[in-house]
Amino acid sequence: MTACASAGARFGGGEGGTALLDAPADYPVPPEARTGPLWAALREVMDPEIPISLVDLGLIYDIRQDGGRVEVDLTFTATACPCMAFIHFDIQDRLQQEPGVDYVEVSEVWTPAWTKARITPEGRETLRTFGVSM
Amino acid sequence: MARYTDEELKEKVHNGFIVEYADERTEGYKSALIVQLLVQADTELISAPAYFGAAKDAPSTNTMVSATAIIQDELAHANIAYRLLEDLGLDKEQLVYGRQAHEFKHPYGFDHPLENWAELVVANGFYDRAGITLLGDVFKNTSYGPLKRALVKVDQEETFHLRHGEMWMKRLAKAGGEAREQIQRAADWMFPMAVEWFGLPDDMKRHSGQLDYKLKGMTNDELRQTWMKSTVPLCESIGIDVPAHWSEEEQKFVLEYPFPCEYDEDEKRWLFDEGEISWSKVFERWKGRGPANKKFVEMIQEGRGFRQQLEMAA
Repeated sequence: MTACASAGARFGGGEGGTALLDAPADYPVPPEARTGPLWAALREVMDPEIPISLVDLGLIYDIRQDGGRVEVDLTFTATACPCMAFIHFDIQDRLQQEPGVDYVEVSEVWTPAWTKARITPEGRETLRTFGVSM
Repeated sequence: MARYTDEELKEKVHNGFIVEYADERTEGYKSALIVQLLVQADTELISAPAYFGAAKDAPSTNTMVSATAIIQDELAHANIAYRLLEDLGLDKEQLVYGRQAHEFKHPYGFDHPLENWAELVVANGFYDRAGITLLGDVFKNTSYGPLKRALVKVDQEETFHLRHGEMWMKRLAKAGGEAREQIQRAADWMFPMAVEWFGLPDDMKRHSGQLDYKLKGMTNDELRQTWMKSTVPLCESIGIDVPAHWSEEEQKFVLEYPFPCEYDEDEKRWLFDEGEISWSKVFERWKGRGPANKKFVEMIQEGRGFRQQLEMAA
């Protein structure tokens, strides 16, 4: 299948892109604030194709909790990622195992666009071991 | 002219020799390899229109993307196998566009329409598992270097198809009601179809060139057991009945129906009550091809007319 994580083409690529595209790694939740049981839970959810967690791949933009209700902002590496349905289901299944979580809503967000810059240092190391050049 | 005699080559490949160049192949080796690759290529190719029929029932755009990505993979895998056949002197375009429907070599199981999402995901769970079982064995054991290298990517992608199948089988079985019933009905006709796919039992199997030339490593019965070892426990774990179980006494999976037996193509139902039939009857049924054979090949060849126009214009 299309290896989503390696998809890199973008509009205006030849002109250097935008600042948001080039340095988005800590938007909107910086890495040091990705703490707590819900982030930890999603660190256990792996990308369906490569052995890297959704958090390390940089697909989770935000997690908000209001009582038993959790909202996750999720992006994908490519708009035609064949795994979109899997990832939705995997997030819901995992978060629903957390105490006090009754309902999980996953919102797909495409802004800002995912780029390789979103992959965490741990994730980069995993990908190198797996044979994906970064 | 081949560098080795047939006997020398058979001995060499069993001692770990990997065939890379044309002059290392004997005529016997080449014909056995062509048969193997044709079955592989045609199976991948015809799975595309078969899956397409059911992918149209995807319950959301995201799941439609998954299903069509699987179809794209299958076409790409077919392309790899036809490309390898070109190295052996065959013409890819002729193979795809120039043959009659009944000349394709894919298994009878892919001559049947898949009519809903449940049938698609059970096909992913059962047939793609059969594909992984067969190709996994080829990958581990083949003496043909170019094929071994090509299969690395194929295997990674087939694993995704399998995961797609198993995840949806679990989900629909858990949902209960009509969703569960649809999975059960699909398993009822597709489980025996996959069991039959592995072919003649070992005690009836005539001499196999593919084993002699080390184009594969496992026998039909070993492959059938490997397939059941994954498939039967999966179905048991999600409460879907299949007519097979592990026998402690025999230390293998055993079938709970007469094998082989007759199949009613219109009703999509195996006629267990009518008892065991001979394998020559099975070969006759395979040779007659199944109800969707013509339609699937037509879907693949639809571009032929346009292709001819382009060639004439050039």
